[in-house]
Amino acid sequence: MSLLTVQGLKKTYTTRFSSNKTQALKNVNFTLERGEYAAIMGESGSGKTTLLNLIAALDRPTSGKIILDGRSIAEITDKELAQFRRDNLGFVFQDFNLLDTFSVEDNILLPLVLSSRSYDEMSKRLAPVAHELGIAEILKKYPYEISGGQKQRAAVARALITNPSVILADEPTGALDSRSTDELLELFSKINRSGQTILMVTHSVKAASRSGRVLFIKDGEVFHQLYKGEMTDEQFYMKISDTLTLLATGGERR
Amino acid sequence: MKRTVFAKMAFVGIERNRRLYLPYIFSCIGTVAMAYIVQYISVSPAISQLKGGNTLAAALSMCKLVILVFSLIFLFYTNSFLSRRRNREYGLYSILGVDKKGLIRIAAWESLTVSAISIIGGTVLGAALSKLAELGLIRLIHTQADYSVPVSAGCIGYTALEFAVIFALLYIASVIRICRCNTLELMKSEQTGEKPPKASALLAVAGAVILAGAYFIAVSVKNPISTLFMFFIAVLMVIAATYLLFISGSVFLCRILVKNKSYYYKKNHFVSVSSMAYRMKRNGAGLAGICILSTMVLVMIGSSSSLFFGAEESIKSRYPYDNEINVYIPALEQIEDNKTDEIKQVYEKIIRENAAEAKNVSEFTYCKISGLDSADGKIQLDPGESFSVLSYDRLRTFYFLTQDEYNRCTGERISLSAGEAAVSTLHCKFNAPVLEIGEMKLKIKEKCGEFTALGEANSNVVPSVVVVVPDYDTVKPLEKLTYGENERMLEIQWHYAYDLDESDELTAAIYEQQLDCLEKIDFINSDGISYNSGCRTKERADFYITFGGLFFIGIILSVLFILAQVLIIYYKQITEGYEDRARFAILQKVGMTKDDIKKSINSQVLTVFFAPLIMAGIHFAFAFSPIWKILQLFNLNDLKLVVLVSLAAFAVFGLCYTGIYRLTAKAYYKIVSE
Ligand SMILES: Nc1ncnc2c1ncn2[C@@H]1O[C@H](COP(=O)(O)OP(=O)(O)OP(=O)(O)O)[C@@H](O)[C@H]1O
Ligand SMILES: [Mg+2]
Repeated sequence: MSLLTVQGLKKTYTTRFSSNKTQALKNVNFTLERGEYAAIMGESGSGKTTLLNLIAALDRPTSGKIILDGRSIAEITDKELAQFRRDNLGFVFQDFNLLDTFSVEDNILLPLVLSSRSYDEMSKRLAPVAHELGIAEILKKYPYEISGGQKQRAAVARALITNPSVILADEPTGALDSRSTDELLELFSKINRSGQTILMVTHSVKAASRSGRVLFIKDGEVFHQLYKGEMTDEQFYMKISDTLTLLATGGERR
Repeated sequence: MKRTVFAKMAFVGIERNRRLYLPYIFSCIGTVAMAYIVQYISVSPAISQLKGGNTLAAALSMCKLVILVFSLIFLFYTNSFLSRRRNREYGLYSILGVDKKGLIRIAAWESLTVSAISIIGGTVLGAALSKLAELGLIRLIHTQADYSVPVSAGCIGYTALEFAVIFALLYIASVIRICRCNTLELMKSEQTGEKPPKASALLAVAGAVILAGAYFIAVSVKNPISTLFMFFIAVLMVIAATYLLFISGSVFLCRILVKNKSYYYKKNHFVSVSSMAYRMKRNGAGLAGICILSTMVLVMIGSSSSLFFGAEESIKSRYPYDNEINVYIPALEQIEDNKTDEIKQVYEKIIRENAAEAKNVSEFTYCKISGLDSADGKIQLDPGESFSVLSYDRLRTFYFLTQDEYNRCTGERISLSAGEAAVSTLHCKFNAPVLEIGEMKLKIKEKCGEFTALGEANSNVVPSVVVVVPDYDTVKPLEKLTYGENERMLEIQWHYAYDLDESDELTAAIYEQQLDCLEKIDFINSDGISYNSGCRTKERADFYITFGGLFFIGIILSVLFILAQVLIIYYKQITEGYEDRARFAILQKVGMTKDDIKKSINSQVLTVFFAPLIMAGIHFAFAFSPIWKILQLFNLNDLKLVVLVSLAAFAVFGLCYTGIYRLTAKAYYKIVSE
């Protein structure tokens, strides 16, 4: 059974001040298998962030179904939601979203503290993650004292530390230089190889080419999908670029 | 053309930041109005025509000065807050190609707009409220007045000019800021201070020690006059300690909590404790300011309202009888001449002529002398050079009454043999077995009941000891003591006082007639014998003009300080709102429930908000002892009343403060939930 199933997902925003309605998602359908590494691409404003927010249950869909690990998110009560999010989802944001009031260590431990784990358990979990991500040396520092790449790695560590079923990443490389981007992508590949499911929104073809599958979103629907299969990164890169050009020129679906 | 562009940019800037500018402009209007009102009343003929009105007018002028100085400091503080936000826009303008000259012009338009609105709005508001305030004051000082000038052009001119100067200074400050910073610094000016706060244990401990020291001084002050200097030092210490504790102490405390892993890494503490340190660091100075302003309001309102509500009691203590007269008798042997009988007869005649009746007549002759007490009962007279502020504590006035007089007045039966005495004290203790003044040595036989018939002793700043002696001969040795060449130390006075059961007008009329006749009595007229006299109903006005005036000033300044607090708190809430909004969003994404976030934010906001009030309450509690002692100097001896009034003052202020919280918290939650 798939880890994540999205069925007929629709989201319409109604603005507070006008009766204007924005249809961000019209009809989105896709599934994500356990251990898969998928990328979502699409033009700005095509609804990618909206989709991620819905999967993370940060927002409720207008209609449609999201089933994570056999459980429909719509059935989860508001009370359980936060706990559910902590246990099942790891979020990596474009702008890191580290709290400047916490040291790197405390930022990473935050979800565990919220789950009322003991400090011993926390430090036991932290050590390997920090080592893996190469941030063991900067744990005591504060976000303002570390580089963008380090911040992003701290954010990844925070997402990983709860052992979530899926990692959701919204443009995780958006704020990084090319070297940090490479490092992060390498990291994602690595954790994916170790069995972690990843769903990543990205504008970067390079980032998308490292994933196993790319979903293209247009006009609120999944417009097209590409599987990497046996292709190399470079081949996949070319293929994604072509598809994007086609999308931009409004080409027919193949 | 260009000129209008800059003006427009200034207007747009104000408009865009109206959430910050509006409260600022409102409080400017408030301060201008307050300054106008106080100025208006201080020159109002309704006040200056009153007896003692000039003193009140002078006090009001002082109050005006306080308002101006305070406005200057306070507006500088809030303006610096505003300009932090504005500087970012200036930075943007400067990137877009506006040079420094242009920025200065924009700032000029801005400052011109704000000051014009404030001064015009303030004087209009002031003019509208000034009659009301004047009426209130006149009520407080228990008089009537016919009102004349509704609006004073002179006052408007003065107030406008004074605030024009203040606004000009503010403008100069912002020009300096613009000139000193480069574009990038202007842009960044709002984001500085992101570092996690460093806790200085030294400063925190220093704060605690200084505060403890100040409290110790406050409670150990015996005589507020003698230690006025110490008291002043204590006030400064409290201010310094408050700043230290709020800025460093709170952060230090948070750091200690963070170190305690099993406490810190708990869901309920984790977020609160860490962001608390930030909050305190950002707002420590503001919170300390709020705390000190709160303390000032409490002390002012507490003491001035105690005086006001205790006025009647003070009057009764100073003037135990409706009318009184004290006539100086030059020498002890003249007491037997009974010349004063003549006065008494004249007085009684006048009372009879007015178809009134004297009741509770109190008549006695007493002698008094002042000196420094020491534990062994030896009194040091005329210390001259060696008299210093420090020995003020030991200064006493000794009132001598013969046992006949004392027994007659009090109904007691004291019987002393030669060389013996009985004592009673007021505001002090006298425990020595002997009393030695000059060549006079007395053995203290017993303690006798308090002697309250003498208003002068009741109201004397110097504590008094009433000494009952067998006869006048006992104090004979004191008669030859002099200050310098020939000024006698021993004063002999005949005291005559009585009550009338008549209206205030008649009582005052009788008093006046008596004084007129007194002047015509031969020996007073020719020998130039001096006397002093008092009529309670007439003196009441004096008391009320002082106490009512003080109360009025207390209220005015409290309103000003509360206004300042509202603004400081409002800005605090707004800044925190913007900071917390981002934090709120992140925490939610990381998996904190909305309820938990609300709870955590609530507890932080409440703690931060009510910490200054609680601290102010503690300051006030420790200030109570010196305040009480000062109030006693004003003849206020009703401890229960002062405690009650102080508690009421704290309760009322607490309510106001909570009201401010409610009001500003709305702005906060609006931002956070946007
Ligand atoms: N809270 C909201 N209220 C109203 N409309 C919204 C809201 N959030 C997003 N939208 C609208 O929904 C559409 C999709 O937005 P979304 O943020 O999902 O786009 P995106 O694909 O993430 O774009 P980008 O690549 O620029 O991040 C946009 O037209 C946006 O204006
Ligand atoms: Mg987006």
